[in-house]
Amino acid sequence: MAHKKNRNVAIIGVGQTKHSSHREDVNQPEMIHEAVSAALKDANLSIKDIDCIVHGNMELFEMIHQPDLWHVLGTGAYGKDSIRITTGGTVGTTLACASDNLVASGMYDIVMAIGFEKLQEGHTTGGITNMADPLWFRNLQTGALTGSTAYDVIQEFGEDRAKRAAMMYRIVMDKHACLNPNAHRAFGLDFDQVETLMNTSPQLVGELRLIHMCSQSDGACAVIFACEKKAKELSKKPVWIRDHITIHREETFNIFGYHKDFPVLKTHKFAAEQLFKRNDIKNPLEYFDVFEMYDPAAWWGLDWLRDFFFLKGDEHLRLVENKEIMIGGSMPINPSGGVIATNPIGATALLRVAEAALQVRGDAGAHQIPKEVKHALASGFGGTMWTVLMMLEKELSW
Amino acid sequence: MEYWGVKVEDIFDTMNDRFRPEGAKGVTAKFGYDITGDGKWKIIVSEGLLEVIKTDDLSDCAAVMVCDGETFVGINIGKVDAANAFTSGKVKIEGDFGQFGKTAKMFKKYVPKKAAMSTRDYILDMFGTLVSRFQPQNAPQEAVIVYDIGGADGGVWTAYIKDGKCELKEERAEKFTVKLEVQEAKDWVDVMLGKVDAFSLLSAGKAAIVGETQLALKLGEIFGKYQDPMASGTPEQELIVLKKIISVDQKFSTGPVMGKFLNALKEKKILGNKCPKCGRIQLPAREVCAECRVRVDEWVEVGPKGQVRYMEYVYYASPDPLTGETRETPYGMANILLDGCQGNDTFAHLIRRDQIDRIKGGKDDVSGTRVRPVWNEHRTGSIFDIKYFEIDE
Amino acid sequence: MQKRVAICAVAQIKNDPNLWYARFQNMLLECFEGIMQQTKVSFDMEKGIRTVITCSDDVWDARTISNNGMTDVVGAHFRGEEKMAQESLNGLGYAIASILSGHDDVILYMGHMKESQTESRNMCTNLAFDPFYCRPLGMDFVNVNALQARAYMEKSGVTEKHLAKIVVRSRQKAKGNPFARENEAIKEEDVMKSPLLADPLRQLHYYPATDWAFGMLLCSEERVKEFTDKPVWITGYASCMDSYFLGDKDLTSNFSLKNATERALKKAGIKDVKKDIQLFELCDHAAYQLPMWAEGIGLAKEGNGGKWIDDGGMDEFNVNMSGGMLNGNPLLLGGAARAIECFYQLRGEAGKRQVKGAKRALAQSTYGAAGQHQAVVIFEV
Repeated sequence: MAHKKNRNVAIIGVGQTKHSSHREDVNQPEMIHEAVSAALKDANLSIKDIDCIVHGNMELFEMIHQPDLWHVLGTGAYGKDSIRITTGGTVGTTLACASDNLVASGMYDIVMAIGFEKLQEGHTTGGITNMADPLWFRNLQTGALTGSTAYDVIQEFGEDRAKRAAMMYRIVMDKHACLNPNAHRAFGLDFDQVETLMNTSPQLVGELRLIHMCSQSDGACAVIFACEKKAKELSKKPVWIRDHITIHREETFNIFGYHKDFPVLKTHKFAAEQLFKRNDIKNPLEYFDVFEMYDPAAWWGLDWLRDFFFLKGDEHLRLVENKEIMIGGSMPINPSGGVIATNPIGATALLRVAEAALQVRGDAGAHQIPKEVKHALASGFGGTMWTVLMMLEKELSW
Repeated sequence: MEYWGVKVEDIFDTMNDRFRPEGAKGVTAKFGYDITGDGKWKIIVSEGLLEVIKTDDLSDCAAVMVCDGETFVGINIGKVDAANAFTSGKVKIEGDFGQFGKTAKMFKKYVPKKAAMSTRDYILDMFGTLVSRFQPQNAPQEAVIVYDIGGADGGVWTAYIKDGKCELKEERAEKFTVKLEVQEAKDWVDVMLGKVDAFSLLSAGKAAIVGETQLALKLGEIFGKYQDPMASGTPEQELIVLKKIISVDQKFSTGPVMGKFLNALKEKKILGNKCPKCGRIQLPAREVCAECRVRVDEWVEVGPKGQVRYMEYVYYASPDPLTGETRETPYGMANILLDGCQGNDTFAHLIRRDQIDRIKGGKDDVSGTRVRPVWNEHRTGSIFDIKYFEIDE
Repeated sequence: MQKRVAICAVAQIKNDPNLWYARFQNMLLECFEGIMQQTKVSFDMEKGIRTVITCSDDVWDARTISNNGMTDVVGAHFRGEEKMAQESLNGLGYAIASILSGHDDVILYMGHMKESQTESRNMCTNLAFDPFYCRPLGMDFVNVNALQARAYMEKSGVTEKHLAKIVVRSRQKAKGNPFARENEAIKEEDVMKSPLLADPLRQLHYYPATDWAFGMLLCSEERVKEFTDKPVWITGYASCMDSYFLGDKDLTSNFSLKNATERALKKAGIKDVKKDIQLFELCDHAAYQLPMWAEGIGLAKEGNGGKWIDDGGMDEFNVNMSGGMLNGNPLLLGGAARAIECFYQLRGEAGKRQVKGAKRALAQSTYGAAGQHQAVVIFEV
């Protein structure tokens, strides 16, 4: 099926809080309000202009049931249409996809998506473990921590090269985070620390070390979507949503057989193939100017480049080793510092979309990539290896 | 003398600034302060005016307060309870007690001056207050905790915890339960002041934990929160964090499919169900084959022995969501290809803890370590009717 | 709304007080198979279902990302799956948005809720309150409903006798609904003597804990013939949010319901709710809510709920022919149950409770302790 859309939709405003592990200074609605105010200011709108609020996070992280009720104090949903739609780690991108659908449908002209999480108010790893079936896997799972990707990459490329590449990826992300004033963790790591860190950072699971893993942050993000007519009236730099795709997979992780006769289909690859095929994009690495990827750990970020861009052999390792993923490289990944730096889970994937939109607009400040950004890609990840991809464009030209 | 960073004369020197004429309405009197070891002061109150003199002659005072410097400063900065000090006799009032009571309304609260504390000051203060912050109810029976704080401002301290008591010595214990190594003293100060989280330091390799990680993660409970002395006395709003454990009892049904699987474990049998379309065997058994979107009705007994295809070597002290207890680390969670299964039809379970270093994963036609289940004597139809898998040798 | 979206098929299990022998996966699977058999829809990436919307809740399932356990039994492996984490009627709103946007032609919408799983419904709904003020005060949906009931009854002249009448009627109507929860037959005296939950709410005034699951297939106008000869069209949807703190809102106000209704009617091009719509399904978690919501959507005059019942309003306007929420649907799924009744009625498949010649129907749902969030959907054949 060729891609079709009832009407075009653009992002006309983005806002986010400063992300940190210490937002005891605000409660949940207050923190959300910071992001909402920032997005409205960015779009030069008032809350009156918004037709519908789309809200999302994970209830059991903060143990608040239907939190959109309480959060109305900060979201501005009073008197408006509002829905709450969630999908785990992917939720932020799901909010963006839902907002795109709601506007494209003609039901609403301007929609605001709000993702948030205050992870310090709960136990994140315990909360994630609770996603597993209470009758069996809940007893075995360790949150989102797994060393399996590290194991795979090491098996394929040898221990030294794999560990170096993963740590290179990590340090690039930190260098990016240091340019982003909103990032939670920005350490000031340098490439001469590769050797030390890859051997001394505390191990969590196998070769997944503390330094590789994403942060647990408090923060919120709000993004405003408008129909073509409104976007052109209201915004000098609308960022157009071309298409998006969501691919989930089954509950069980039956992907550890390691037999060549039983290859495992990966959601990232499948999602990218389907999305790029229907948008007639043959070489995504060439087409996109920047990619804001949901990279929950350095090993995953490294490995997934191959799935998203259809790379062969060790091409993905070379992209990292040659620093092509840095701001200024041929395919900058996460100029914002990505998820390893900043991870308020319900907002995390929406931040990917927001940051990608800022890149397209050229408004990312110190972490703006130097070349013109015409085509940007954002991804979400969650659940049992779920994928969401969203394509953003500078021009309405497809 | 200095108490909590405040000198006795600081209190008197600031009295003029803190004087509230409206609180001294109708009072005309002289009051004396005899601060043992620190000197004597006299204040003269008259028609809304105040004079403070340091003098040894307190003979013409209506009332004289007698106490030591620590108590006096403590009361003024809120560290000592005034009523208790009077009751216990630490503070005495000689002369007209009722008159002296009027001084209570005459002064605004003393707020210590904000002088910058150096990193070294903080480090010394943090360890100086460590024993007073000890929370025996949260502490283990016995532990030795070494703090190795690097940099010019650092040092080495050892906290010895035994039977509800804590002792701190400026020394390096060779035998310890856990050792915290922080490269830069400044970083440790930031952690203690809540500016940086400890995980960030660990992640960045700026700090390390040697020994029992679990104990290190509990330090925040074993020792009460460090109060920044520079923040004391400031009128800023106190932020409260509400701590709650939320639990709602649940009863999870197994349904016929998971129920059959769990029931079979009671009989020391591992039952999978086989997809009629693609033939894959599901472990544990599930209602449908997600790949083929069909109901899965055929049952097969597999294993109970098999080979490890992949093992997670877990160092992270993961909490058991059912009990809240953290697991002993490291432990191994393995995907096991039970005999009779093929491809990706693996079964996830734990490996005997003392054997995890010997487990090898399999690939293609090369077998991984052969393992067998160790059954619980008392089986209830739970995934832990199998305690764990152990090497089949 | 320029284009319409069709509901092609629905499937459900019987509402049950305690499906102790089933996981929610078993409940959903029956519904999934029901939809597949009725419509022969595929999961082809071009022509079939690419997106499944589900409805469930993390707190009630005691499971983070509660939809994660649904993926397999709703066919969503290697397809899109999105969870409506709100009252289920909003899932229909989102499903039509997905189709009207052009992003999808066909949407499978499925939901489950197993209220019997939790030992305390009140503890679950207590978690819907902020942890600082309302939660420690012990607020839950029952006792806040009671506050609203007292205030509303005062305002609208609704008496204990009226409430008893509503409950008895609900149970009578439900007898004609094969999927309804089976409850004991009762008389008005039984209602008035039933134990107090929170004054003035009595046990029989409140919907009983229920387990249930459902499925629906929705598609675009262009493709409807592939799946059914008898589509039911959704022509309007809207929702609205009210203030959170009870002190910030007038407890007897229908602010959010009035807004949602007005917006939904406008989209459906309906001017007179009483004349143009022949059937109303309202989410009455508690008996007092039936006349209250009837006022909100404009069936009864504001402040006139008691008289409206006396005048036979419930039967005149065919309100809750299914027995309503009061007879027993799970909390989050009341809206889906209302929509399914509208579907059967408009197709003329409602059996004994059939409203003859019904062409348009309205389903309403609510969430929040005092009806803060409201949603309205308009159906048409």
